[in-house]
Amino acid sequence: MASILEVENIRKNFGRTEVLKDIRFTMEEGEALSIIGSSGSGKTTLLRCLNFLETPDEGIIRVRGEELFNAAQKGSGSEAVIRRKRLHFGLVFQSFNLFPQYTALENVMLAPSLLAKEDSSIQKETLADRARELLDQMGLSDRADNYPHQLSGGQQQRVAIARALALHPDILCFDEPTSALDPELTGEVLKVIRALAEHKTTMIIVTHEMAFARDVSDRAIFMDDGVIVEQGPSRELFDNPKMERTRKFISSFGG
Amino acid sequence: MFGEVTLSLLQGFGGTLKLFALTLLLSLPLGLIISFGSMSAIGVIRLPVRFVIWVIRGTPLMLQLLVIYFGPGIILHANIWGSGDTGRFIAALTAFVINYACYFSEIFRGGIQSVPVGQYEAGAVLGMTRRQTFYRVILLQVIKRIVPPISNEVITLVKDTSLARIIAVYEIIWKGQSFIKSAGIIWPLFYTGVFYLAFSGLLTLLFGYVEKRLGFFEIK
Ligand SMILES: Nc1ncnc2c1ncn2[C@@H]1O[C@H](COP(=O)(O)OP(=O)(O)OP(=O)(O)O)[C@@H](O)[C@H]1O
Ligand SMILES: [Mg+2]
Repeated sequence: MASILEVENIRKNFGRTEVLKDIRFTMEEGEALSIIGSSGSGKTTLLRCLNFLETPDEGIIRVRGEELFNAAQKGSGSEAVIRRKRLHFGLVFQSFNLFPQYTALENVMLAPSLLAKEDSSIQKETLADRARELLDQMGLSDRADNYPHQLSGGQQQRVAIARALALHPDILCFDEPTSALDPELTGEVLKVIRALAEHKTTMIIVTHEMAFARDVSDRAIFMDDGVIVEQGPSRELFDNPKMERTRKFISSFGG
Repeated sequence: MFGEVTLSLLQGFGGTLKLFALTLLLSLPLGLIISFGSMSAIGVIRLPVRFVIWVIRGTPLMLQLLVIYFGPGIILHANIWGSGDTGRFIAALTAFVINYACYFSEIFRGGIQSVPVGQYEAGAVLGMTRRQTFYRVILLQVIKRIVPPISNEVITLVKDTSLARIIAVYEIIWKGQSFIKSAGIIWPLFYTGVFYLAFSGLLTLLFGYVEKRLGFFEIK
């Protein structure tokens, strides 16, 4: 059976700077993959490429064997086609990016209800129940009718996670989901991500929380300067890194 | 006498309101178009548009009125506005619309550019079309941001309409002043202030209400 995600030879330049070079990795269904690396190493850019917010200059992205992106084939499609493709991925931003004029519940329901308009297989009546269920799962059942400005950062990020899950992405990506939070609020967000991992949600987690990454993820990637320096089972990578650069980076976190 | 003056001033205020309403009606959409021009990625569009905005915002409306009214006659040796009241009104309206459209365009540009890119990106990764993202997510945030500055401009416009007097467009100040000559009294001129106050008071209440209605959410 094909891996859920295959990334081949991704390269991305911004002008003259090479931000990603020859990125290749695969993921299996139900796996949690963490990506660590110093600032500017290209982690965000990689997630943005997977979510079609950036277009790689080279490379191929496959999900369950289906080729979603191939830089060799120019003009990868209309807006509608790209929309369909990006639904394979979900993205949780560092800065939440909730829609301020909608309540928590409405934030979760907006995209699914817009999709339901063009896809008759989505049952409109069940969307609200499903959204409430997700908020429950995030520990936010009593916050459904609050607007984002009435929520703490940790609560906002949990709404954002529910919002991403509402579209049933094959692979959910997190870009430093706790770095914009006060330290006392990171725990509640890490807790729900941990629960997702226990339920075998396929996830890519970019994070600076080393202990968390080591604990929760099945595999880990260490990036530096736009390349994957090392990848492997996460215990191995964190406890016995093979490369000197990985060792240095991890020990700089006091690990 | 008081009744007679009031009636006459009301008539003049009708002229003021006509200029006010037509200016708003035309300059708001034109301002939106100009704001798109001023944000264009194409320099050949953006730079001239920004230049015009700079000129219009950098010179007095009074001067613009005079240039627009007398300019064509001097340059083309033809009075394109015609000679009657209507011609002068259209000239004044043209000057007001151009002037206010430029001010509004800057407000629109500020409002549109102040919405964080993250809002567009969040819409995109949730599979929303650009159209959906604009109408469902961006627009209300832009409106919330531009209502206070638009309200300022609109109230300024109420008072600016009196400038049309310089090319003899009949409005309320002109009426009030005419009593100095015809009856030797000056108080009707001061009395015009009451009309301005009442109307701008009304607008302040209206905009206050709109702002309150938009107060249910906050933007960073
Ligand atoms: N839109 C852009 N235009 C030009 N350069 C960019 C752009 N986005 C990112 N870069 C550059 O690409 C490099 C990688 O950035 P990226 O944000 O992917 O790093 P990161 O690993 O996520 O870092 P951090 O840990 O700080 O979030 C950086 O040098 C950055 O300056
Ligand atoms: Mg980053």
